[in-house]
Amino acid sequence: MLRSRGVHWWFLAPALAGLAIFRLLPILIALVGSLFGVSIRGDVRFVGLDNFVVLFTDPEFWASVRVTLLFNVIINPLQLFVALGLALLVRPPGRGIIAFRTVLVLPMSVSTALSAILFGLFLEKNMGPMNGLLEWIGIGAQPFYRDMYQALPTLIGVATWKGAGYWMLFLLAGLYAIPESVNEAAAIDGASRWQRFRHVTWPLMKRPMAFVLVVDTIANFLFFAPVYILTSGGPAGSTNLLMFQAYQAAFTHFDPGRALAISTVILFIILVFVAIEFRMFRPAEGS
Amino acid sequence: MSGVVGEARGGPLRYGLLSVAAMVILLPLLWLALASLRPQAEIFRPAVEFGWATFIPSRITLANYAALVRGDFPRAVLNSTIVATATVIAGVLVNSLAGFAFAVFEFRGRTLLFALVIASFMMPFEAIVIPLYLLVNAAGMTDTYAALVLPEVASGVVIFLFRQFFAGLPRDFYEAARVDGASWFTIWWRIALPLSWPTVATSCLMLFLVQWDSFFWPVVAASGPDHTVVQVAIARNVNFEQSDWGGLFASTNLAVLLAMIPFLLLQRFYVGSLVSAGIK
Repeated sequence: MLRSRGVHWWFLAPALAGLAIFRLLPILIALVGSLFGVSIRGDVRFVGLDNFVVLFTDPEFWASVRVTLLFNVIINPLQLFVALGLALLVRPPGRGIIAFRTVLVLPMSVSTALSAILFGLFLEKNMGPMNGLLEWIGIGAQPFYRDMYQALPTLIGVATWKGAGYWMLFLLAGLYAIPESVNEAAAIDGASRWQRFRHVTWPLMKRPMAFVLVVDTIANFLFFAPVYILTSGGPAGSTNLLMFQAYQAAFTHFDPGRALAISTVILFIILVFVAIEFRMFRPAEGS
Repeated sequence: MSGVVGEARGGPLRYGLLSVAAMVILLPLLWLALASLRPQAEIFRPAVEFGWATFIPSRITLANYAALVRGDFPRAVLNSTIVATATVIAGVLVNSLAGFAFAVFEFRGRTLLFALVIASFMMPFEAIVIPLYLLVNAAGMTDTYAALVLPEVASGVVIFLFRQFFAGLPRDFYEAARVDGASWFTIWWRIALPLSWPTVATSCLMLFLVQWDSFFWPVVAASGPDHTVVQVAIARNVNFEQSDWGGLFASTNLAVLLAMIPFLLLQRFYVGSLVSAGIK
């Protein structure tokens, strides 16, 4: 390390200012702002915890919490499972594997909003090719995101299409970190493919899998664009995720107190997961 | 002996599963691309009678794309280009400066500040969109390019990647340059930054993808037509009872391709960085 005589502040100032203004300050605004309310005449006054009391006694809020929890309980293990399967499939070298890997990460470049629009068209009830296929093989057309029972699973499917390849990369990094010799030794000792997975790969993959599960959960608690584009929280509130609730409070009902109270709840949940992620984070030395 | 060797070559099951996964990913994209080349009236029709015609157009036309020129789409592409370019350039400079300081200098509070930087990239931007909107609105900055660009410039993960790279360079490098009388700024600009080009490439793609993927923020912070970015412009035109299917298909497909091309060019750096960022 080198002594700098204060010059380091010139190097740090722009980035730290950016993080302070656009990351830290908004958190403070959410915490403080959630304690204020706007009256009908438009003046702002301190209301203490009133916004939270109103929020926590509002059945619509709890319905949204339930949908958000259901969404997360399904989507996070599902994405982890799919990502692990894909990582195991592309891990051993082989002909054309790099091409397959590239295809699997391709949805990373399709923005979340565009993926929602794409599947809005692909799964369109009357005209989309998916229903053409389902009719053709005899299952019959499905309403997908237009139905209160299918909307949430449809959003989960779209998000998994978009996200599985990205999470696969983290697990692939974990698989590459397992020395080839460990697997070979187990094979020579007569361990079957399943035994090697169960007793070699699985224990060594626990850490990367836990990491992906935590980071994925953080991302999915903030799931927004596909709800906004495809379902607007419906049908019948079946996709009314917390982030969309916060959006509606702020920009449909113009109730910043409620919006910031929901933001604070979301921030609190996220911070718990960030704390877990922070404890798990161990960058490799020197790379 | 279906041992490790057989696994490395890969059986039909492995390639079968990979092909299914690749199909699931490519089929919707392919269908979108091919449908966007159909005449307006035929875009959806063959989907109803499922078969090859659902995917392969009988007549190919660029009319849907030509019609885009008259709408609001070119302006949205321009806005996205301005926003993405500004974010990428400012982001690489600002974050590599900070990464350089964390890697090279010794100063009080370094560990704590670096921990805050790492915590900041674990906290997704979407979590603070609404309070940030109130802040930007109070500053009178909504509906400006600055509102779209500035919040995405400082990036914890990019600072982290640059720090990792610069910390890996041999100390003598910097010391020799110091002895020769070069300023720290010159060392960063002339020596460190050019050497870090793989990290620069990764950072460019990361900053671009973050900006490209953001939706909640541009929807609320820049809703006026003068600053609408591509993904918001297309989402506004989504209306499943509409008549301009051609425009929707062509613009969506163009937007997909616009991001896919830089992604395919740079993804190997990106994948390499994710792997070496070393999550174990």
